[in-house]
Amino acid sequence: MQITFKVYRKDPEGNGKPGRSEYTVDLSDDATVMDGLLKIRDELDGTLAFRASCLRGYCGECTMRISGKSTFACTAKVSAFTKKGPEIALDPIRNIPVIKDLVFDWDAFLWNKIKAVKPWLEPREGPANEEHRLPDAVMKDLRQVMSCYYCGLCDEGCTVLPVDFDFLGPAALTKAYRVAFDPRDRDGKERLRIAEQPKGVWDCVHCFEASEHCPRGIAPTERIVALRDKAFQMGISHEKVARHHQSFAASVKESGWVDEGRLAVESEGLTNIKGLMKLLPTAAKALVRGKAPLPYVHSKRPGADRIKKIFEKGERERK
Amino acid sequence: MQEFDVLVIGGGASGLRAAIAAKRAGAAVALVTKVHPLRTNTGVAQGGLNAPFGKEDSSERFAEDTLLAGDGLSEPELVRILTQGAAEEAVWLERMGVPFNRDGEGRLDRRRFGANSQPRTCYADDRTGHIVLQVLHEQFLRAEIPSFEEWYVTSLAVEDGTCLGVIGLGMRSGKLEGFAARAVILATGGFTRLYLPSTASLGTTGDGLSLALSAGGRLRDMEMVQFHPTVVPKNPGLLITEAVLGEGAELVDANGGTIAGSKAVPREKLCGSIMDTIENGGGSVFLDLRPIGKEKLSSRFPQTCELLRTVAGLDAAKDPIAIQPAAHRPMGGIEINGQGETALAGLFAVGECASSGVHGAGRLAGNTLTEAVVFGRRVGEAAARYAASAPKRSFPAPKLSDEERRLGALTSKNSASDSLGKIHGELGRLMNEKVGLARNQTGLKEAQDRLQHLKERHQRLRVGDTSRIYNYQLTAYLELGSMLSLAEVVVLAAQARTESRGAHRRTDFPERNDENWRRHISVSLVDGGPKLQHKPVGIPG
Repeated sequence: MQITFKVYRKDPEGNGKPGRSEYTVDLSDDATVMDGLLKIRDELDGTLAFRASCLRGYCGECTMRISGKSTFACTAKVSAFTKKGPEIALDPIRNIPVIKDLVFDWDAFLWNKIKAVKPWLEPREGPANEEHRLPDAVMKDLRQVMSCYYCGLCDEGCTVLPVDFDFLGPAALTKAYRVAFDPRDRDGKERLRIAEQPKGVWDCVHCFEASEHCPRGIAPTERIVALRDKAFQMGISHEKVARHHQSFAASVKESGWVDEGRLAVESEGLTNIKGLMKLLPTAAKALVRGKAPLPYVHSKRPGADRIKKIFEKGERERK
Repeated sequence: MQEFDVLVIGGGASGLRAAIAAKRAGAAVALVTKVHPLRTNTGVAQGGLNAPFGKEDSSERFAEDTLLAGDGLSEPELVRILTQGAAEEAVWLERMGVPFNRDGEGRLDRRRFGANSQPRTCYADDRTGHIVLQVLHEQFLRAEIPSFEEWYVTSLAVEDGTCLGVIGLGMRSGKLEGFAARAVILATGGFTRLYLPSTASLGTTGDGLSLALSAGGRLRDMEMVQFHPTVVPKNPGLLITEAVLGEGAELVDANGGTIAGSKAVPREKLCGSIMDTIENGGGSVFLDLRPIGKEKLSSRFPQTCELLRTVAGLDAAKDPIAIQPAAHRPMGGIEINGQGETALAGLFAVGECASSGVHGAGRLAGNTLTEAVVFGRRVGEAAARYAASAPKRSFPAPKLSDEERRLGALTSKNSASDSLGKIHGELGRLMNEKVGLARNQTGLKEAQDRLQHLKERHQRLRVGDTSRIYNYQLTAYLELGSMLSLAEVVVLAAQARTESRGAHRRTDFPERNDENWRRHISVSLVDGGPKLQHKPVGIPG
């Protein structure tokens, strides 16, 4: 069948403006998009740059956008994209700096962020001839996380990265999970401290797009939530968002509803004079508009005692 | 110019393990790799890695199985290095974080795999390579080793029989640069892309073997290319791990009859049984995964199920899968001794690009990853020792400008109707047909003649892309050049070996001939042409 590929082009040595090239190739009915790309580069245009390695869905190297859907060129059947006509658009995945054509900057997008979470075990001391004895259930969870093939689709789906490229992103945080939840690591807290820093777990807005986009069912969003929970449990919660969470929960537990004044102050931190000063204009406006009548009193809601019991039950169960 | 004690070329399991070991031994190490380490061909390994544990097993029994699979061409003393070092390396991987499957007591579980006489293969579902690779990469990052990723090595810098570094092309920068090193370790992987279909990644093109050969190194056992028995015949082939046979899967013919001799035998024998069935009127051969049971299938072989579904559109729990053997891994490679040293001073090799002497004429399933880590460590340490005592010599700077000119001459706008892909396609089919599972003198001679023709076509071609930045046409040109020069060596060695042994099955010499052929064929270039030498089995460790 004759297929026309409309391919995103960018020449790093040219004027920097992206364009598009069209190539028509003859392919067999069960051909993949990668078959088409290799044929184009071989027979029509040797300058077309794209990456490829394993050729059958093991490695994640050929991630790209195929007629708007981000997936792997090596496992994507051409026939799945030509139902409306023999044309396929090929683009780099979104939210990522492009170097040349379909070759984008994996370093900036993924590898550097993975390095930033120090993604390795600091092994415990022990006999060199004996393995750790561990239940397979623990290992199974790690094997699932490590089925990740670094394809970048979770990061591409992430709704935070388009507004803040410095966010570590779901792929790197999932890698942090892999170490933080491995009982063989000497210092289980190190990865939590890193993940909890600015641009880490607290910048995730839990929109669950990462989990939707992961082709392996690793559920990166849930891994980020698990990192947060574990950080709390281990008393690592220095970030503003963490304090916000804690204050929110504490005031609901104590009074049955949110104490907004306390929330604002505790989120900034009681010793954070600069942060507290920033609250003053807002507080003044609230006073002027009658939103915070003086004297400021936050009283218990009816039924607050029952809400407190729910909290306490939850805390007992967690223990 | 960058300068290092030890420079490792290739970011798969062997290269990473060697780099970590050399760094621990105190050397200033760097890695140069043409794809990111996590995209290398190690990631496609599925079944597991062999290590003898428990009362029933021992390194001696492991050695017996390895020697049996090697069909008289494995080197006993070198095999012992592998089998005695295996358990320690498996435990090391575990302690570094590989989440191996566990038995009921929480210890490393082992599966029956291929012709291993014991359940000896440690595994992580059916993604062992992918997961071992990640843990090696983690520890590589921990060791803070400089890593030049997406750098393609175009030649070795050799002077007076000593390797003094390499010249590499940065894909991203488009720049050609020299890397000076007292020791260079080639860990560039195999050359299975000589064959189509094959189970290997796009970059498995034998670059390191070709670099070593043209710099004065030797290649050994090159006629021995293992075919994997259970491959869904696509291009590229989709491999189904043989471990499924140990867990209950059956090989059946078109009528559903079980194929005799399909359990716990070496891959070479299994391939033979499958081909006999296909050729003797049995039509297709099917792998029936249903006896494993749906639950075990999805828990132990999740990747297999996923890829069968996405790549081949098949449901492993429902359909028997049509399979046939496809080229998998070479046993031969750059000739090394037990320390990984090659014929050139300062040049080491390890892993699938090397002939460690372990695999002989047939590789035992599960020995590839074991070899990668056991020899990776050993060769990394040996290279570090060598670098510590090697006299300092300066990098031969003129070689860089020579190389610049050579690459420049390859590039020009052309409108030839021929192409790299067409030549590679013909090469792959030729090797598969004439130099594959069954060979004879007529076919091998024909292959030799047609190879000359393909080489001429390759030499006439030019690289049309004049940019150096991510110029994949240029690297594909160089890779095809490597493959063509290695194909010639494979064909010559296959012609010379007038017997059948292991992966080398000659229909015109069907018997194993120990009297004349318990010998390796070793190839080097003399006056630009390949010259064969014979060396009897019995290399000291």
